[in-house]
Amino acid sequence: MAVPATDKNSARFLRVPRLALKHREAVEAWLFVSPILTGFLIFFLGPLIAVFFYSMTEWNLLTQQAAFVGMENYADALSRNPDFWHVVRNSLIFAAGLVPLNMALALTLALALSRPFFGVVFFRAVFFAPVVTSAVAWAIVWKFLLQNEAGAVNQILAVVGIDGPNWLREPDWAMAAVIVTRVIKMVGLNMILYIAALQTIPRDYEEAARLEGASNWQIFRMVIWPLLAPTTLIIMVITTIGSFKVFDHIYLMTGGGPENGTLVLAFYIYEQGFKFFNVGYASALAMIMFVVVMVLTIVQLMLRRKDMQ
Amino acid sequence: MKAARKSLVVPALMALGMMTTTSLSAEELRFTVWTGSDAHLAMLNGIAESFKETHPDVTVRFETIPAADYTQKLTFQLAGGNPPDLGWIMEDAAPTFGAAGVLMDLGPALRGIEGYGLEDFSPSAMGLWVDGEKVYGIPFSTSPFMIFYNKAMFDKAGLEDPLALAAKGEWDMDKFQQVSKALTEANPGKWGFEFKDGQGYDSRIMHALMPPIRAYGGNAWTNGECGFDDPEAVAAVQQLHNMVFKDKSIVPPGEQGDYFSGGSAMTINQISRASKMPEAGFEWGIAPLPSGPGGESPVIGQAAIVVFDQGKQKELAAEFLAHMTNEENVATMAQFFPPARQSVLNSDAFTQSNELISAEQMARVSDAIAKGKVLPSHERSPQILAAMAPRVDALWKPDADVAKALEAVCAAVQPQL
Repeated sequence: MAVPATDKNSARFLRVPRLALKHREAVEAWLFVSPILTGFLIFFLGPLIAVFFYSMTEWNLLTQQAAFVGMENYADALSRNPDFWHVVRNSLIFAAGLVPLNMALALTLALALSRPFFGVVFFRAVFFAPVVTSAVAWAIVWKFLLQNEAGAVNQILAVVGIDGPNWLREPDWAMAAVIVTRVIKMVGLNMILYIAALQTIPRDYEEAARLEGASNWQIFRMVIWPLLAPTTLIIMVITTIGSFKVFDHIYLMTGGGPENGTLVLAFYIYEQGFKFFNVGYASALAMIMFVVVMVLTIVQLMLRRKDMQ
Repeated sequence: MKAARKSLVVPALMALGMMTTTSLSAEELRFTVWTGSDAHLAMLNGIAESFKETHPDVTVRFETIPAADYTQKLTFQLAGGNPPDLGWIMEDAAPTFGAAGVLMDLGPALRGIEGYGLEDFSPSAMGLWVDGEKVYGIPFSTSPFMIFYNKAMFDKAGLEDPLALAAKGEWDMDKFQQVSKALTEANPGKWGFEFKDGQGYDSRIMHALMPPIRAYGGNAWTNGECGFDDPEAVAAVQQLHNMVFKDKSIVPPGEQGDYFSGGSAMTINQISRASKMPEAGFEWGIAPLPSGPGGESPVIGQAAIVVFDQGKQKELAAEFLAHMTNEENVATMAQFFPPARQSVLNSDAFTQSNELISAEQMARVSDAIAKGKVLPSHERSPQILAAMAPRVDALWKPDADVAKALEAVCAAVQPQL
């Protein structure tokens, strides 16, 4: 049974000095954040700093010989190696194709599937299933579907009189094929984010607009779309970053070919580092990719903020 | 109570002590391989078990790394300070690993073992693995590429099979083209020929191009000069190109054939792949590669066992390597991996070693080893292949100018040579 602390000495004993309490709170706070902080330092900041140092060396992984070369690897990439700019161009094409297509499709699906109707859960599951499907299985199935003559896609096109291309063997079509198959695989994730956002918009706004005589398009354009802005921003940033980092899809479906037509930055870094063992050069490329993605993200955030103001 | 506790603690400590002593005295060698085949691993473990007769405390752990990632993952293990004690390496990685100084010189150890017979390995088979007196690896597989054929599809087309044609001396590149076309016509929806594992347009470029180029008397490169645009190579690749796009008898780029499930009548592969044939469910056989204007020119894929210089148990690893490549064990491995030891290669034991392949066909394998040359390799093989790949992609188009495409291949490869 608790005894009330009426005794003066006990009260003094129990009183915690202000500074000490502050300290104690600070210690507790640090203890709470320390697991994530430790993880951040070991698994993110540490490797990032290490990659920056590696990028200023010429280091062969196999021979373990390293020499400090300053900014030479960056100069090589930016001014002496024509492959680099070809790869950057491919990455930009990939992002420019994937981001709008993914977002437009995700929003369309979300608008169609945000309201309850019979079978809505089934349709949501169908569109979300590819997200949780193994990337390897996905790529293998699509490689079969996209065969030239024996592939199901071209056979279906042939039924309607279209002579489909050799999808994965022609550079431009290969890029289009990896973009579309990537969109189909990942669109479910953005769809879920949009559905969640749509469900937070009060129905009153829509009803009020309808009473004012607004059409469906006007309701979407003037009411729903502005209210989706924060979600759109997050989706755009995440999808852009993801499109620059794409590796597995390229590795599994085209290996960067044909004719380097799908050789994107992340795959090029992998080739340089893990096939040719040029760790220094690969690290410089990774730092360039990091800066490019960071700049793009900041620009998107700034543009969006300006837009919202 | 105290006595009871003591009676439990003392035996536990003793057991712990015994375990520690055991783990200190027992030694384990880690050996990386790329095979995951149960039959191959059972054979390798059997050889490791026989090593215990002389080294009772030594165990060998075979670690499988898939072939596609093998060289890369092995490099990471070496770079990460976690080298295996021994490993297989492929012919295209040999110059790279040799130049990097990561392989142990096995010469002194092997020459010091009485009765080992290092000279039993033919100089041509050892070419990639020696540098003067230094020996960096012992080939365990000197396996020629052979034509695997689907007998049922040949019968359906009313054609003599490649083995019969080879016996009559008629198995050449022209016949190969005729037969492939006839097979495609007789088996609608299927193809006459498929490149190795259906990967001839991407990861197996060399396996697709080198057999015809060698048959025409050409080569990939010689003394630092690219040979892909030499007239012999152009003629050879033009014939392949015609077969793919005019005859439509080779599985074209962008399609999946699969010989092993009956999708193609012929393919090219090594005898280690014969272990997959019982599942195929059709009658099959193997025959030599077709000859060409350059005569018979078998192409060999080679792999060797090496000891890594960073390993902590190098001497013990070298002893195991010597055990694994002694005459008896080479004869055991010959059922899957054709040997470089001449005494085994020339014995009846070799021609009768594989129960899936007849003695007549194994004699063809033996003949190909004697006459063949190993696939081209170079210290900068990964860079050469990467430089070639996009130019070879341009070659595999219906309207490609083969000579120009091969000139572009050489322009890309030459700086790497």
